[in-house]
Amino acid sequence: MTSETGTAAPAVELIGIGKRFGAVVANDGVDLVLRRGSVHAVMGENGAGKSTLMSMLFGLLEPDAGEIRVDGKTVRFTGPLDAIAAGLGMVHQHFRLFDSMTVAENVVYGAEPRRRGRLDRAAAAARVRELSDRYGLETSPDAVVGTLSAGARQRVEILKALHREARILILDEPTAVLTPSEVDSLFAVIRRAADDGSTVVIVTHKIHEVLAVSDEVTVLRDGRVTGRFATASATGEQLVHAMTGREIEVVQNPRSGTPGEVALSVEDLSVTDAGAGVTHIDAVSLTVRRGEIVGVAGVSGNGQHELVAAVLGTIPATAGTVRLLGEDVTVRPVRERRALGLAVIPEDRRGEGSAVTMSVAENVTLGHHRSAPIGATRGIRRGWMSLRAERSRARDLIRDYDVRTSGEQQPIGSLSGGNAQKVVIARELSHEAPVLIAEQPTQGVDVGAIESIHGRLLEYRAGGGAILLVSHEISELLALADRVLVMYAGRIVAELAGAEATTARIGAAMAGAAAHDAPAAPDPVLDPEGPRA
Amino acid sequence: MSTTERPPVPSADAPPARHRAARLLGAALRHPAVVPIGAVVLALLIGAVIILAAGLNPITAYAAVIDGALNPDSLDYTFSVWGFICGMALAAAIPLRMGEFNLGGNGQLVLGGLTAAVIAGYAPLPGPIVIPLAVLGAAVVSGAFGALSAPLATRFGIPIIISTLLLSPVAVAVGSYLVRFQIGESGSAVAQTPRLPEGARMWALGDLSYSNVGLLIIIAMMVVFWLVDTRSAVGYELRVVGANRRFGAYGGVRVGRLALGAMVAAGAAAGIVGAIIVMSSPYRLIDGALISPGYTFAGLAAALLAGGRPALIPVTAILFTVLQVGGAAMERSADVPRQLSDVLQGVVIVVLALRTVLDQRRSERSSA
Ligand SMILES: Nc1ncnc2c1ncn2[C@@H]1O[C@H](COP(=O)(O)OP(=O)(O)O)[C@@H](O)[C@H]1O
Ligand SMILES: [Mg+2]
Repeated sequence: MTSETGTAAPAVELIGIGKRFGAVVANDGVDLVLRRGSVHAVMGENGAGKSTLMSMLFGLLEPDAGEIRVDGKTVRFTGPLDAIAAGLGMVHQHFRLFDSMTVAENVVYGAEPRRRGRLDRAAAAARVRELSDRYGLETSPDAVVGTLSAGARQRVEILKALHREARILILDEPTAVLTPSEVDSLFAVIRRAADDGSTVVIVTHKIHEVLAVSDEVTVLRDGRVTGRFATASATGEQLVHAMTGREIEVVQNPRSGTPGEVALSVEDLSVTDAGAGVTHIDAVSLTVRRGEIVGVAGVSGNGQHELVAAVLGTIPATAGTVRLLGEDVTVRPVRERRALGLAVIPEDRRGEGSAVTMSVAENVTLGHHRSAPIGATRGIRRGWMSLRAERSRARDLIRDYDVRTSGEQQPIGSLSGGNAQKVVIARELSHEAPVLIAEQPTQGVDVGAIESIHGRLLEYRAGGGAILLVSHEISELLALADRVLVMYAGRIVAELAGAEATTARIGAAMAGAAAHDAPAAPDPVLDPEGPRA
Repeated sequence: MSTTERPPVPSADAPPARHRAARLLGAALRHPAVVPIGAVVLALLIGAVIILAAGLNPITAYAAVIDGALNPDSLDYTFSVWGFICGMALAAAIPLRMGEFNLGGNGQLVLGGLTAAVIAGYAPLPGPIVIPLAVLGAAVVSGAFGALSAPLATRFGIPIIISTLLLSPVAVAVGSYLVRFQIGESGSAVAQTPRLPEGARMWALGDLSYSNVGLLIIIAMMVVFWLVDTRSAVGYELRVVGANRRFGAYGGVRVGRLALGAMVAAGAAAGIVGAIIVMSSPYRLIDGALISPGYTFAGLAAALLAGGRPALIPVTAILFTVLQVGGAAMERSADVPRQLSDVLQGVVIVVLALRTVLDQRRSERSSA
């Protein structure tokens, strides 16, 4: 447990910070020291109080107890403007940008360069270019924010903070929305900013990220500090232990047993958007057998999502066939496919996987509302629902899946991302469908829960389920999949059996090289300009 | 930093809440009841300003409204109007539950009234048969008319809000034409059908002259809507689609069929209201008389104010009933034109619509 080993004076000191929300103690006597020119990781499971702590540092919340010092001086922020004036900048978990405005307009918003009282567009664009060059943040100042990818939007958020001359940069779970290569370039930017003398706090619950980018780590659990480490001397096990209070065993697919008959088969499936003239997926064929997990790797946006949507039936296939348990379902509606035996954990949890304004109970009911115990398929109760059964089933699932809520009536939108994800997983796994498609099943979920979700997926497999697992996390695919398919530009460019799937090979194929003729090449995707090299 | 002035402009990130009190207030303001109640208060204030500008006393005027609507002598009439507004609120609320707007209430109302006038006026059947038959016929015809909008939306991509709005005047015009030239009472100065035979009039409730069994029918429809909404699979699916259409489609809800069902039910509700009005005093279909009281608009406003929630509709309908019935009394006793009621309804709708737009803006801004 080392801290303040360096000679640099602390840029920020949080001393004995406390904050409660009603009965919930979000922060309790938290001390945090950020040294100038260093990258400090704040880690902890969902609900540990990380965002609350950062919100207080940025003036969005007022602490109930404790003291904040910036450059040795005690400060009391009454709002984010005070924090900005003191040299802080924050990139939030959810972006706060104007979609219809350009990058440059968003960046300078609130501190515009003016000429004769009006926004000086040329100066704004020049400023964005200057900052992008200085920190290696690729953007085009004139692009409209609404058209940008999540990674690009995040760069706009960072530029916004840098534009205001932030010397202390707070990034709250910045990697949650990024692809692996975007994460790497973000880390490069963070390093460059720190080398430049800025102080960076990065909130995350991913251990490999902490090890990759930070100099020091503070771990929170249930609102208290449970560990302080210099990253160089910390191990993954120590961090996990501090975060969860227990050891986590790594879950690994035993790759034993012979898969059964084909449960899902996709033949020459294509999805084209005629209007936009885009081919999302191009003659994709794959099969998933019972008792088998087939992984689909790929940088996001290479057709994985359209593949899932076409198998589920929410978008039409342009060509090819989808067979579920031997039946051709290519033109069948979603309901029939699900009734035949398909469950899907979707990637877009807020947009597709849940209704944020509805309760946990109502969210966990969709698809189960016409069958026992909630509904009835025949008899006088057909078409009616038992609210009591709905609630008690929801309570059971909340318990089984360890969803942290104030009760089954809480709106799912007010849950943390990881807990909402558990609700979605509970709903889909409890279909006990022969075929399961899991798209980014552990997104936003913390270590302890990832392990348990992985465990459940392996149980599903052992019970004869066929799983198509789409993931951006190579480690997840390596831990779970019997085979890994790699998608690139709408096509499957590589198929690697469990034994031959390695990070290097999958990474190479994800970048577009055919895996067959790229043997043990070095890792082009994961290590472009090694963040800490 | 040479290119920028220090920003006095509030940042977009978060409005600087200066004090704890301001934050508490902010949290309180986000309560879901605030906007609807605020809309009503705002409407009343704007109304007061208008009355003042006309050189009259708003307190007297509002007192006249309340008195006109709630004084014991007029309660019978007030209840019947409340029923009609509730019925038209159903016609708006059922599709609203799944996020669709039915703006075709007038057409559905007129077709229902027309059907009932024809069946009750011409079918030579005894009362116990002809009255239910007229109500059912109205429900079927108006339901079918409402249903047109669903395939237009699913097959041809014409939004329901548009098709209902555009189809409605067609139905109203057809109704007008038939009353004027085909089934109207000959020799009458007014375009109206002959009075219905005694046996084909809606059963009375005791010795009340306005409220009749039709009111009970509408209350029953509201109870059914509440039951379906809260505890049936279809009601659940409606709410799911209303909360997040993509979530519904992903979960296997047949959104097109649901829209069809919702529009049939909405049209039928409006049609039944039309039938009840025609079979109540003065027991005939008078050209324009179904539309001019503005039940459709008042019902829409009540449904919007209730957010489509069945349990709230009877309550929000009271507000618009008081405005509607009291408005006429206000005109008589306080000399304020009754159109003021329409202005107040309009303000409520605009404020609620504004909220929808602002919500969309906000979600655009925080899109991830
Ligand atoms: N505005 C709030 N009102 C009530 N409870 C809150 C609020 N913000 C956070 N909490 C609670 O405080 C705890 C810490 O939350 P948070 O700081 O968001 O955690 P983290 O960012 O580490 O996931 C959680 O139990 C959360 O439910
Ligand atoms: Mg957080």
